[in-house]
Parts: sequence; structure tokens; C-alpha cells
Amino acid sequence: MNTVLSRANSLFAFSLSVMAALTFGCFITTAFKDRSVPVDIQVSKVMIKNVDDFTGPRERSDLGFVTFDISANLQPIFDWNVKELFLYLTAEYSTKSNALNQVVLWDKIVLRGDNTKLNMKDVKSKYFFFDDGNGLRANKNITLTLSWNVVPNAGILPLVMGSGHKSLTFPETYETIKSY
Amino acid sequence: MLSAFKSIPTDMDYKGQKLAEQIFQGVILVSAVIGFIYGLFVQQFGWTVYIMLAGFTVSCFLTLPPWPMYRRNPLKWQPAVPEASGENRDKPQESQKKKKHK
Repeated sequence: MNTVLSRANSLFAFSLSVMAALTFGCFITTAFKDRSVPVDIQVSKVMIKNVDDFTGPRERSDLGFVTFDISANLQPIFDWNVKELFLYLTAEYSTKSNALNQVVLWDKIVLRGDNTKLNMKDVKSKYFFFDDGNGLRANKNITLTLSWNVVPNAGILPLVMGSGHKSLTFPETYETIKSY
Repeated sequence: MLSAFKSIPTDMDYKGQKLAEQIFQGVILVSAVIGFIYGLFVQQFGWTVYIMLAGFTVSCFLTLPPWPMYRRNPLKWQPAVPEASGENRDKPQESQKKKKHK
């Protein structure tokens, strides 16, 4: 500690250790928090087509089109350890050939500081709702849920499902629109 | 230009070094506690980091330059012995030291 460089080295290393301890403290204060909020999903229009699916093994697959509304208040999730949320809307259903199918239809990134009241109306799906086969036609129970991935400043990235879901059925014939 | 920097005295005596270490550890720990509590209160971790950086800057200013308060207990060196008789005494001492090492 006789020279300036030696004192500076000692001071800097101590500051970094203290900073690491503070970051751990930040993680510990929010590690056991429940990050789920109620979500309201409504569906306005549903349509189905049977088209060529070049990514699949068969000639034609079912392609669904869903127009939906989402509203949720995400404010309680944001605390000092949350940097952003990655929201995604999942459609979950079962068909004769597959017991469980989960398809992501839409996603959004909400940064800290953005508007946390989610109120989106008449949103079309961002990604293709292809089925592995022809199982969407007249499918009685398709469940839409909104989930999110919490990206923290320090710690684990939990996947949380919002409470609240919407069930919908697809029409019997192709290219007819069913309104809800 | 480097020789100009090297000629500035930057040393502290031992008690001064101990005081400097206590000062910077204390300042940084206090600013860490204040920063943690304030960041928790406003729910923004950025404030914790800013307060820590402020504490770091304050302790840099307090401990890096060799202030006079760190030089209050200088070492008391023995008075210099004139060289002519010193050489005669050194050689037998050195040979004695070599025997001890073996």
C-alpha cells in the first residue's frame, strides 16, 4: 500500500467484491416472489385453411387464423430486479395423432419503463398456426394462454404462466369464418 | 515526462497505510449499505450502483493521494554510519551470515 497503484488496486478489488455482494442481495430480495398476474384473453375471429406445408412431411396441413384481444396489467411484476419481460401467447390442444400440441402464436418484449398496461385489440397472430396434420378442423378445445419469461438483473429467469385462459373451437369446414 | 510523475512522492508510513485501508473500507461499506437501502426503496438497482460509484470516488479522493495525515508516524531510521569503518565491519558480518545460511 505504499504506492498509488497498490492502493488503487486494493480499493478497486474491494469495491468489486462489495458490488458482487450487493448484486447477490438484490437477487435474494426477489428470488421467492410470485410473478403471475391475471390475464384476460378474448377471441374475435377464427378461420381455418388446408394448405401446402413445405416444412412438414405431408402434402397438406391445417393452418389456423385467430384474431384475439389481450388485456393485462403487468405493473406488479416489475421490481428492481426485473429488466424486461418476454410475453408469448400459446395455443394448446390435442388431436387424434398427437396428445399434446403447443404452438406459439404471438410474442412481445416489454422493457422496464415501457407502458405496463397491456391492452391490445384485434391482434392477428405473428407466427403460422400450422398443425402437424389435419387435426384443427372441428377441434373442440383449443386453449390460449399468455405466459412470460422474466429477465432479471441478477438471478434465475423464470417462465410464468398468467392466470386466465380462453378456449375456442375451430369451424367444421375450411375457409369459413367463425365469429365469437 | 514519466520521470516527472515518478519524482512525486506517493509513499505513506505504515500507520498511515493502515489508516488509509480502514478509511476506504469504511467509506465503501457505508455507501454500499446506503445504496442498497435506497435502491430497495425506489425499486431501481441503478441507484444502488450510482451510490456505490460515488462512494468509490470519495474513497479514491481520500486515500489515493498521500495526504499529510498518513505521514504522521514516519519510521525512525538509524543514523548513517561513515563508510570507511563501515566496510571493515561489513565483510566479517557478511561471511558470518553466509555460514548461518549453510
